[in-house]
Amino acid sequence: MHLADVVPFIFLLLLLGCSARPLYPLPSRRNDKSKQPIQTFRPFNIAHRGSNGEIPEETAAAYRRAIEEGADFIETDILASKDGVLICFHDVTLDDITDIAEHKEFASRERTYEVQGVNVTGYFVVDFTLQELKSLRVKQRYPFRDQQYNGKFSIITFEEFISIALDAPRVVGIYPEMKNPVFINQRVKWSGGKRFEDKFVETLKKYGYKGSYLSKQWLKQPAFIQSFAPTSLVYVSNQTDLPKIFLIDDVTMPTQDTNQSYWEITSDSYLDFIKDYVVGIGPWKDTVIPVANNYLQTPTDLVARAHARDLQVHPYTYRNENQFLHFNFSEDPYNEYNYWINKVEVDGLFTDFTGSLHNFQEWTSPLSPDDEDASKLLKKIALMISEFSKT
Amino acid sequence: MHLADVVPFIFLLLLVGCSARPLYPLPSRRNDKSKQPIQTFRPFNIAHRGSNGEIPEETAAAYRRAIEEGADFIETDILASKDGVLICFHDVTLDDTTDIAEHKELASRKRTYEVQGVNVTGYFVVDITLQELKSLRVKQRYPFRDQQYNGKFSIITFEEFISIALDAPRVVGIYPEMKNPVFINQRVKWSDGKRFEDKFVETLEKYGYKGSYLSKQWLKQPAFIQSFAPTSLVYVSNQTDLPKIFLIDDVTMPTQDTNQSYWEITSDSYLDFIKDYVVGIGPWKDTVIPVANNYLQTPTDLVARAHARDLQVHPYTYRNENQFLHFNFSEDPYNEYDYWINKVGVDGLFTDFTGSLHNFQEWTSPLSPDDEDASKLLKKIALMISEFSKT
Repeated sequence: MHLADVVPFIFLLLLLGCSARPLYPLPSRRNDKSKQPIQTFRPFNIAHRGSNGEIPEETAAAYRRAIEEGADFIETDILASKDGVLICFHDVTLDDITDIAEHKEFASRERTYEVQGVNVTGYFVVDFTLQELKSLRVKQRYPFRDQQYNGKFSIITFEEFISIALDAPRVVGIYPEMKNPVFINQRVKWSGGKRFEDKFVETLKKYGYKGSYLSKQWLKQPAFIQSFAPTSLVYVSNQTDLPKIFLIDDVTMPTQDTNQSYWEITSDSYLDFIKDYVVGIGPWKDTVIPVANNYLQTPTDLVARAHARDLQVHPYTYRNENQFLHFNFSEDPYNEYNYWINKVEVDGLFTDFTGSLHNFQEWTSPLSPDDEDASKLLKKIALMISEFSKT
Repeated sequence: MHLADVVPFIFLLLLVGCSARPLYPLPSRRNDKSKQPIQTFRPFNIAHRGSNGEIPEETAAAYRRAIEEGADFIETDILASKDGVLICFHDVTLDDTTDIAEHKELASRKRTYEVQGVNVTGYFVVDITLQELKSLRVKQRYPFRDQQYNGKFSIITFEEFISIALDAPRVVGIYPEMKNPVFINQRVKWSDGKRFEDKFVETLEKYGYKGSYLSKQWLKQPAFIQSFAPTSLVYVSNQTDLPKIFLIDDVTMPTQDTNQSYWEITSDSYLDFIKDYVVGIGPWKDTVIPVANNYLQTPTDLVARAHARDLQVHPYTYRNENQFLHFNFSEDPYNEYDYWINKVGVDGLFTDFTGSLHNFQEWTSPLSPDDEDASKLLKKIALMISEFSKT
């Protein structure tokens, strides 16, 4: 037999191999159409950096725990490595929550850069390649939280984060932030002249994230894009119709890109402007209702003015520890949830304690019964009726 | 008219005056037979020193707050003043929770006494008369709790405490402790040769507290008598059939009267003995389930052995602050309540945060609906049926 005789067969095999479909669906939850959908009738439980009250922030484990505990959305902060890979990490420096200090091979990377007008010294993520970042181990930020997972987990990429959401047994939304875009674009360059915001949206599209708020596509893969930088939000609104949230910092912090004050960006005219680009705002909760002597003071009208413009309000951040709970709440995080959900009527909450918020919502506003529960209810009704007919 | 003529009338008036009944009941809730009764179907919410998470412990305000928040029982520690008045106060010294240091007129009263084998220096309640104690002002024990009521409230007497319970708009039980009876009997003498325990029971009987657990009389005015000193409990069981609870301290602390170790008083034979005198035990919760590295370890069998002897278990003390919450509970006090109530199966809980325990119980095991709720239920049922008939 000559090679020439075999070639057609090889060609045929290649053709078949490349066009063949699996005889059965591959084991993946991504095409599972029977997944429990996302709830949309009560405020969103947004797992701030994952369930970081229990597990070091922004790790795969923290996100999986949050999904277990009932999060509607898992939230993350996106920065970029030296080689332009989008990663999940909150601080621009690695000092506070990784073991960078123990990595002598990186000792020479310490730098001082200006970040949002302040000189910061440390080991910056933008000076490390992804491979180098992956050699680090994350630790719990707060000393009073569980330290047992320190040194066990590594930093994950934006794509790894997305996979965790897509592989969940029910529909779980993602809530990524374009973090420090001004600083990232100064320090990291991508080929093709792309910017941080371009790569951010590219990644979302690669995994099929698209669609406006509550659209059919969106409900299959819910996502909110968040940022403190209004120009970044405006920029990406040309590229995706995914809903965006405008984050608002403390009253002393101007925006990093437009240098506008808190008062300006929360004014009626600014809200009128930004509402064409975002579906809501994400303010620091102690600016929505100022605090003095650890007691709540008179609430501002920010929520009312936002709601009047059809803007959702997702304040940050709710924490269980009594040092973060104002005295009005009797050191009970559930009282705080009760107040913000039922009195202030926010539309979503960034929480470090996904499980606690889920408990509160399940106990006080449980999801409507589905078909299975309906038959249980009918049995209950029958019992009640028979009890009543006795008396 | 002579005086002699008037005397019969005066006599008549006196007769009428002394035997007359009010034409309408006096405004008091003590005879109100329509008071909402105490619940007995789920573990007791015992307001440990009142709602002292919010308000300084053992004050009238702390007790009233606890009643507002839904306590089943208000708990107190009974000590005695120099002049033998029974007061509500936890420590034998006034230093930690009062402004005694600012009272120069009492500066000379500082002493050192041996209390349960340890030398203690300070201003002892037994060296101060009631009138002098009343001139003091109480403050919040823990610096991380609300300090705004410091200096506002005074120490109250056992009788004032009882009045607060009896005047409540629903049936609220009392849970007083014969505190440090050995020390009190050493330092305070009563004129009629009576002992601390005698005066304690006398006070209860004066206000109509009597009856065994769950008896008709008991349900009208529920009460538990608690003590760390077994001989005091045995002593008073001759005087009253009110239910008693045997408190158990940490594993290192012997009983103050019989010098028996933790291991002895929790042994099978001791429980067999004490069960003829008490209806339950009140252990420190970290001895029921030991703790290491802020994680729960393997539970002991104490609860099982108590329940096997029909002894209730009321552990102390549940607190919201994360420093008191073991990591298993994700810094969520409600997870702790869930575990102890549903997994360990305790019968009552001493809590510093009455409102939080009440929330948890109301949301996860609400009281059965009464007649008013039944008609609401029927309306709900009608709605559900009509919805179902549509589909």
